[in-house]
Amino acid sequence: MTITVRRTIPATPEELFDAWLDAESLAEFMRPGTEKRTTATCDPRVGGKFEIIMRVGKEEYPHRGEFRVIERPVKLVFTWLSKATRFNESVVTVEFHKRGKQTEVVLTHTGLPPEAEGDHTKGWSEILEHLQEVER
Amino acid sequence: MTLARPFGIFNQVVDYLTEVFSAISDPTRRAILANLAHGEMTISEIAEPFDMTFYAVSKHVRILENAGLLRREVRGREHHCSLDAAPLREAAVWIDNYREFWEQRLEALERHVLAKRRRRKGRSR
Repeated sequence: MTITVRRTIPATPEELFDAWLDAESLAEFMRPGTEKRTTATCDPRVGGKFEIIMRVGKEEYPHRGEFRVIERPVKLVFTWLSKATRFNESVVTVEFHKRGKQTEVVLTHTGLPPEAEGDHTKGWSEILEHLQEVER
Repeated sequence: MTLARPFGIFNQVVDYLTEVFSAISDPTRRAILANLAHGEMTISEIAEPFDMTFYAVSKHVRILENAGLLRREVRGREHHCSLDAAPLREAAVWIDNYREFWEQRLEALERHVLAKRRRRKGRSR
């Protein structure tokens, strides 16, 4: 399973890239919703590990991974393990494309969830569409 | 902005969905589900379009049943099967939620970087 999201941001690739390798920045922009207590540690080198602990109420949601590719300021690849991946490895690639004074950030998350091989979005969305037609 | 569903629930449903994703990872099983979308079928009817043993087909049926995608009702000597699409809808929602998680992270990244820039400018003044 692959998820891709994009956003064009009025900032330089360097500013955006560096935020992913800085614990303080990670704790800020990785904080889900209105929750306040997200903490992060980060060892910004290839093979270095990071950990982001998101807290919702009394629950803790640790997210861990390892940097695989660090090509400042164009490409960053890291592994991503969490409850949502059952602590199996998934891979996140973040690319930074300069668009004039702005930067397009393209984030691709592959291997979600890890047991499913290949891309099945098409498979079940077809079945769902089909079903809706039959139900009509 | 908040997630469409509580973050915790979104993490917890994954165990059950893993079985769903695994069940639909097979093309034969996807074809069986597509056929069942038209209505109830017996196992023999399910097996008909496939060039495989009855045993192999019933194994696929059992996997779909365990994933909650297929309901089986025994009437007389026949097993009547029907589709339960609820887990598929759940799966689609889960993926949407994960996409939304990353969209929100990129929004937060923008806010963070722009705020940092303002702080830097404030200091240099």
